[in-house]
Amino acid sequence: SVQAHKEEDNPQKTMEVNGLTPVPHSYDYDLIVIGGGSGGLAAAKEAAKYEKKVMVLDFVTPTPQGSSWGLGGTCVNVGCIPKKLMHQAALLGQALQDSRKFGWQFTEEVKHNWMTMTESVQNYIGSLNWGYRVTLRDKKVTYENAYGEFVGPHTIKATNKKGVEKLYTAERFIIATGERPRYLGIPGDKEYCVSSDDLFSLPYCPGKTLVVGASYVALECAGFLAGLGLDVTVMVRSILLRGFDQDMANRIGEYMKEHGVNFLREFVPIKIEQIEEGTPGILKVTAKSTTGDQMIEGEYNTVLLAIGRDPCTRKIGLDKVGVKINEKTGKIPVNDEEQTNVPYIYAIGDILQDKLELTPVAIQAGRLLVRRLYAGATTKCDYVNVPTTVFTPLEYGACGYSEETAVEKFGEKNIEVYHSHFWPLEWTVPSRDNNKCYAKIICNIQDNERVIGFHVLGPNAGEVTQGFAAAIKCGLTKEQLDSTVGIHPVCAEV
Amino acid sequence: MGWEEVQVRGYSEFVRTAQSYHGRPIFALFCGDKDAEGKSWCPDCVTAEPVVRKELHNLPDESVFIYCLVGDRAYWKDPNNEFRKNLKLTGVPTLLKYGTPQKLVEEECFKAELVRMLFTED
Repeated sequence: SVQAHKEEDNPQKTMEVNGLTPVPHSYDYDLIVIGGGSGGLAAAKEAAKYEKKVMVLDFVTPTPQGSSWGLGGTCVNVGCIPKKLMHQAALLGQALQDSRKFGWQFTEEVKHNWMTMTESVQNYIGSLNWGYRVTLRDKKVTYENAYGEFVGPHTIKATNKKGVEKLYTAERFIIATGERPRYLGIPGDKEYCVSSDDLFSLPYCPGKTLVVGASYVALECAGFLAGLGLDVTVMVRSILLRGFDQDMANRIGEYMKEHGVNFLREFVPIKIEQIEEGTPGILKVTAKSTTGDQMIEGEYNTVLLAIGRDPCTRKIGLDKVGVKINEKTGKIPVNDEEQTNVPYIYAIGDILQDKLELTPVAIQAGRLLVRRLYAGATTKCDYVNVPTTVFTPLEYGACGYSEETAVEKFGEKNIEVYHSHFWPLEWTVPSRDNNKCYAKIICNIQDNERVIGFHVLGPNAGEVTQGFAAAIKCGLTKEQLDSTVGIHPVCAEV
Repeated sequence: MGWEEVQVRGYSEFVRTAQSYHGRPIFALFCGDKDAEGKSWCPDCVTAEPVVRKELHNLPDESVFIYCLVGDRAYWKDPNNEFRKNLKLTGVPTLLKYGTPQKLVEEECFKAELVRMLFTED
């Protein structure tokens, strides 16, 4: 930060020190946002409200399989949006089965067409990409479909897909470059495997699929693929849903197992080979046990890797401007105002160290940051008690502490857990599971039995959790919860 | 080769014409019918048309610009008319790139910048 201070105050001196790239005295833009995803677009639109001159740079490096997409970032193109739509497609399949018990009669066998679903989903995404471009143009935010990287103080180089380079300067920068799926680093991974970046626009039905990983991405994808009628196996190295409440994670796993998803626990792939070309072809996967010497082999049409995501921070010239990153993870540490170690460079979204990787968090952080920069606001982004939902076949909504973390932080004696199974009314008639849906709250005894953790496993978990998140933010206690009359008959009344 | 304009009236004529130009970029402007004096019942269409026409020179080579009169006001107001049902139009004027989700609706058509963007970018 001493370095940055010098640069701000003595542009003349910096010119001598750096030699080639002079620090400009007046900039092309007030703000340049690198990355047109959830965080980047929210920040850019907010800055335009304050009549700032803003540029957004967004560029998608194609996947090893050649997939690419338009403006909007991960959530819109290869994340939340297509995921939820395909999850819905799977739920509708289940609903069709249930409907017979409710009196609907149809003689045709119900089948699923992957291409019909994918085309509809991609069409919707296309309208979102276009919508963002209209909004940016309308609000006079300059957008360039170009890869941005720092080349010197306050200066960025933008390279478009034709290789044309342009230089731009700005008073301030926001890095919002997000992440991309990690590969295994084993033979055949990049040549033959797909990731979530490819799955939602796959131009053929994936067929018999092996999902490698136990993240929410892995389980959500495995879940809807199985729900669409495909033969799905999940290969797990150790635990499911690391970072989430483990009791809930195991319940999700059990439910998926009982509903046709195969699990290979404690194995990692070591080699992927192609047996037959095609769309899809046939791949042979060789895997090794993590607990012994056992090796197994399997054949699948598609192998989907969902083992983690890495920040896009290593090739954007951060070293040229002195922005520190965590060398091991690639994440950027920031203070509670999203500022990096270089005062005029900020960062938001999934690339932040120790912050939640969620779209609404990135949007909130982006908006509040811009308001602090240009509208004299002081509100900082609140990263505590952020609700989230995992859209596995049995949905899981959570807000606050997991049971393990609560025990660790407050001590087992100081927390009380209230829990219950429930049977959704809609599941009774079609005879669906009566002991799988489950809810629990974790209370802090020493603080008036304040609710510090909320977990629900059941249909529409996201919808249920949202309201409780607001209550928790207001300091909900067990007594207040008890005295709130339930709505009947709904799952949330539990 | 430059671009060319075709004028049509009504849904069937529009679809036939669009199909006949399959393979070329097709842009379409949908407006309300015009009376004997050449004035449309749709005031927004009256505002938008000159703005759109001024940007036509930006159309990519080989494009076709279909100027389509949808019908009279009563036809348009019917929620089941073919343009609403089949082309998912929600208002007039609508300017769109046929076969893509790219479109501009109502006041968006008044903005030369947006019209230019629709005509020139992927």
